Amino acid sequence: MPKEIVLKTVDIWKKFGEVEALKGINLDVYRGELLVLLGPSGSGKSTLLRIIAGLEYPTSGKIYIDGDEITNLPPYKRDTSMIFQNLALFPHMTVYDNVAYGLKIRGISKDVIDRRVDEILELVKIKHLKDRRVTKLSGGQQQRVAIARSLILNPKILLLDEPLGALDLKLRKELHIELRRIHREAGNTWIFVTHDQEEALTLSDRIGVMNNGLLIQIGDKWDVYEQPNTKFVAEFIGETNLFKCRVKNIYSNKILAEWKGLEIKVKSDRRLYPEEDIYISIRPEYIGISSEKPLESELNIFHGTILDEVFKGSYVIYSIRLDNNEVVKVTVLSKDADYDPGDNVYLYWRIDKGVPIKE
Amino acid sequence: MNNGLDSRRLKNIVSSLPTILYISILFYIPIIILLAISFTPPRKFIVEWVFTIENYISIFTNPIYYRILLNTIWIVLAATFMLIVIGFPIAYYLARVNRGLGAKILYFLIIPVEVNYLIRVYAWKVILGENGFLNLLLISIGLVEKPLTIFFYSWIAVVIVLIHEWLPYVIVPFYVNLVGIKDELYDAAMDLGASRLQIFRTVTLPLVKPAILTIVFLVTIPSLGEFAIPYLVGGQSGLMLGVLIDRYLSGFQLAIGAALSFFLLVITLALSLVMIKIFGYEALYSR
Repeated sequence: MPKEIVLKTVDIWKKFGEVEALKGINLDVYRGELLVLLGPSGSGKSTLLRIIAGLEYPTSGKIYIDGDEITNLPPYKRDTSMIFQNLALFPHMTVYDNVAYGLKIRGISKDVIDRRVDEILELVKIKHLKDRRVTKLSGGQQQRVAIARSLILNPKILLLDEPLGALDLKLRKELHIELRRIHREAGNTWIFVTHDQEEALTLSDRIGVMNNGLLIQIGDKWDVYEQPNTKFVAEFIGETNLFKCRVKNIYSNKILAEWKGLEIKVKSDRRLYPEEDIYISIRPEYIGISSEKPLESELNIFHGTILDEVFKGSYVIYSIRLDNNEVVKVTVLSKDADYDPGDNVYLYWRIDKGVPIKE
Repeated sequence: MNNGLDSRRLKNIVSSLPTILYISILFYIPIIILLAISFTPPRKFIVEWVFTIENYISIFTNPIYYRILLNTIWIVLAATFMLIVIGFPIAYYLARVNRGLGAKILYFLIIPVEVNYLIRVYAWKVILGENGFLNLLLISIGLVEKPLTIFFYSWIAVVIVLIHEWLPYVIVPFYVNLVGIKDELYDAAMDLGASRLQIFRTVTLPLVKPAILTIVFLVTIPSLGEFAIPYLVGGQSGLMLGVLIDRYLSGFQLAIGAALSFFLLVITLALSLVMIKIFGYEALYSR
């Protein structure tokens, strides 16, 4: 299915006085996808969302929905709807009145509103709470009211600004699954902002990683996880080992790098030069451990000693000191984790699993 | 189990005893005495302990009482209305438009409350009186030939002084209420398609209901019993029930004074109940 762009931002800049909150954001969002914008606080992700919603205006740059420019339109003339960090439900209204708000404002007739409210409350599974005051609901139920209140307007783009921030972990995990279901059934485009990388990986189709007002990497979540393009992305999403190396030899599709006296082979399509300083990122779960030296050729193999183990339930994290005194983290499924601190082991990983990253 | 419950109940009764005694001795017992006196014959200097409803009959049949009652209600409602019309925009500006200024200036709005009440009333005499500032100003710019007396010793003077008296008590509840409304509610309403006017009607107004209720209880209802202001600046057209009650009581006509007091108390209670009926008890304590 060809991907169709529903929202496009072109070189969005936003300055608050001297502070540059956004420094040239070019973002394409595809129809029907669930895009997560991930970044630490202060990275500009919420500002970008508010600009898309029309609650802020960019200092420069343009925004298009379905090809029509909306850069300077007020919020109520855009086909977007926002779900706020604190949900911003109207405390003096019932669930019904909150959800019906947008339709009432538009002067829709009462029986149409009633039907739509019923439909949408059915979708978010809180129909039985229709006449309750929102202040009497639990956090998870309020969440559903907020989603219903926005979805009832059937916006082309639903914007969610860390809406799960205030909930406890267990409830968040339940809601992640619910959100994906509601997204699937509602069928519109969602942009979800979070600083929680686990939430981003769980929810998203694609992830855009932001830092310091820049969109650093955007792509399919697997690609972003496996092929981080910067040290920041590699460290921000998931756990990784980062080795500071110097390029020694370059072959047609792989390079040989020197890392504190050891040699690492890595596949790379990126343009690198001899004697260039780079990082090589390797995820802990791509590294294998064995007490005997593996014999395959397309592997990086190092000898080391187990320093420490951290038991995490289904998996174990080993800290292993290599012969060059560097410490590498390796995760192993608990059922295969029969090593103890002090054991001599061999570490190995496939040369196409390491990712070279420029400084 | 049963014992535990009983001892807990006993503890509750004992611990609430001081409050019950305090309220009984200072409020309910005087009110009961007042009620009793109001059912005695209208005599001067003495209370003759004979039951009669003569006082109430004269309250309900003598048109002068109606006139003064209506006058009292009219003055208080006019003052409340003007207080809200003046106070709300000030509070709105300080709480939502210019918040930095709001925090700084609020204290200065409260300072006048710390000046003695009577001194403030007299100060108005200097401004509104026959030889007061306002008349001198009107004469000097040639608008009038001789001093006007309509500003002072009139119901308008009572309303003006009531407004001055109570304005801080109107601004502060509105301010506190408005400051507490989260900005995100306004963002959300705007995002859902509401215009500024619609936001005001559907979000701001319903959420300042607690302030309005506070104002009615703090300002309107106490003003019904106001005596010093109409006494000092009210003249004939500014006559209020409080002044009348004072005249009877200081003239030692206790019985009719007591009956009028009780009459006013019932009106006050009725108004309170109506307000609670409209807004609900919760509005008093929370949003």
